[in-house]
Amino acid sequence: MKFKGKSFIAIVLAPEPPFADWFREIDRITSRSPGFFIDRPIILDVRGSKIPIEDLEDLLEGLSSRSIRVMGIDGVAGTRLKPGMPPSFSGGRLASDVEVPNPSGNADKSGDNGSGEESGKKTQADNKSSKDNSNGAAESDSSETEAPQIAAPASEDNGSSIVITEPVRSGQSILHPDGDVTVIGSVSSGAEIIAGGSIHVYGTLRGRALAGVAGKDSARIFCSRLDAELVSINGLYKVADDFDGKLRNSAAQIRFENESLVFEELN
Amino acid sequence: MSNATVVVVTSGKGGVGKTTTTAAIASALAKEGYQVCAIDFDVGLRNLDLIMGAERRVVFDLVNVVRGEASIKQALVRDKKLNNLYLLPASQTRDKDALTEEGVASVINELRMYFDWIVCDSPAGIERGATLAMRHADEAIIVSNPEVSSVRDCDRIIGLLDAKTKVAEDGGRMPKHLMITRYDTERAKTGDMLATDDVVDILSVPLIGVVPESKDVLKASNVGLPVTLSDENSPPAKAYLEATRRLLGEDIPVTIPEEKKGLFGKLFKGRAA
Repeated sequence: MKFKGKSFIAIVLAPEPPFADWFREIDRITSRSPGFFIDRPIILDVRGSKIPIEDLEDLLEGLSSRSIRVMGIDGVAGTRLKPGMPPSFSGGRLASDVEVPNPSGNADKSGDNGSGEESGKKTQADNKSSKDNSNGAAESDSSETEAPQIAAPASEDNGSSIVITEPVRSGQSILHPDGDVTVIGSVSSGAEIIAGGSIHVYGTLRGRALAGVAGKDSARIFCSRLDAELVSINGLYKVADDFDGKLRNSAAQIRFENESLVFEELN
Repeated sequence: MSNATVVVVTSGKGGVGKTTTTAAIASALAKEGYQVCAIDFDVGLRNLDLIMGAERRVVFDLVNVVRGEASIKQALVRDKKLNNLYLLPASQTRDKDALTEEGVASVINELRMYFDWIVCDSPAGIERGATLAMRHADEAIIVSNPEVSSVRDCDRIIGLLDAKTKVAEDGGRMPKHLMITRYDTERAKTGDMLATDDVVDILSVPLIGVVPESKDVLKASNVGLPVTLSDENSPPAKAYLEATRRLLGEDIPVTIPEEKKGLFGKLFKGRAA
């Protein structure tokens, strides 16, 4: 038997009272970037707050009702935690900040609450079984559990981008909140690609493409033939009816500029 | 192991011609001399027995066999014309939940020992019946009409074929063939219908045949004969016979058989060309 050590970048959430306001901020981030908390290790940081255990319980409940799963709590002694709560964590090392989706028109608020306080932190997770979080970058199922996933042909490229080497069929959903998605083949009507970074389709894009879901407005969508149902970058979307008709069926790129989506013909 | 090939005929959408295709392909394969078994997976809404004219000889069915209430040999119904063509009918009184994964696996494995080709007629939809029908297939025939909803449903099914079948789970790729049925040459000319090229482009699956919309199909099912047996020279029969040769590995170009034109039509066509 072998134990392996692996390190992961976890998002550290430091709740600040009043918690109702804090949750409102979380909700705002998730409404703009539904993929932001999906499949990411989350640590709850309550150091120095001497939080009553009942409040902590409410916090965890609030997070789990938003499908944010906390993997550990920093700042509470393990003996104080109730059974069923995530384990106590400590001794993390600070890493670079995780880019947080900054909802547009929000600049005035970011100072006092919310966006500023999530800082990235590196957690050393030793003796961790690999099933836990072995690769947060893999494509994972969407909420629709029976949506089939193409497992084999997706080859990973240093964890930040994935390549799908066959058509994405109707009903399939490729979810990759951490980086670019490249599809060699077409994306069918009724299929969707959700990427934290850019989306490249070497084929016809007939389905939905949602790029930059983790709040990255520099993400772009490229396709060799545009016939999409919906495109979105950083939460801003357009449906087919609102596209410029001239670009239909031609090679195109879509980018985010001045709070709007810019469609351009490629070459 | 034997070298039987299990083919599933599937489409997602109903009414596109899965059962007609199953009967036509199965009997065309039997005519080529292979031992062929057609299985109806449409438990509760069975039709394959009617199309193959075997409805009055069904005693036991797939559900009986899956549940161990009858042996496969008791349930198989031999075709009245071809003695190397058999039908394993579905149950009409049960529903699709009566089928179990292990039961279907053991039925298919046993049939593999007796037959060269096993053609599975999938029910419409993407639920249990359809997934069980495709589960153990080696190859798939995707039946689509040249219209958008049928094409999209096929696309969904192809996704399932690449994810939920035994072949896919073992890391393989299931060979798939696209059969376009109910193709109306007149409407194709006026552009009222998706062109075959568009369907092939959307689904990116190689074309195995284009079957024209024809009264012959209805005529054949009314007399309980697969269209390939009732009138070999009808356009749909020709299309299915050619498709079968392609399924067997022959490399022949896909043509779209047309209804016979009158003398005037022929002359006119000749001059125009």
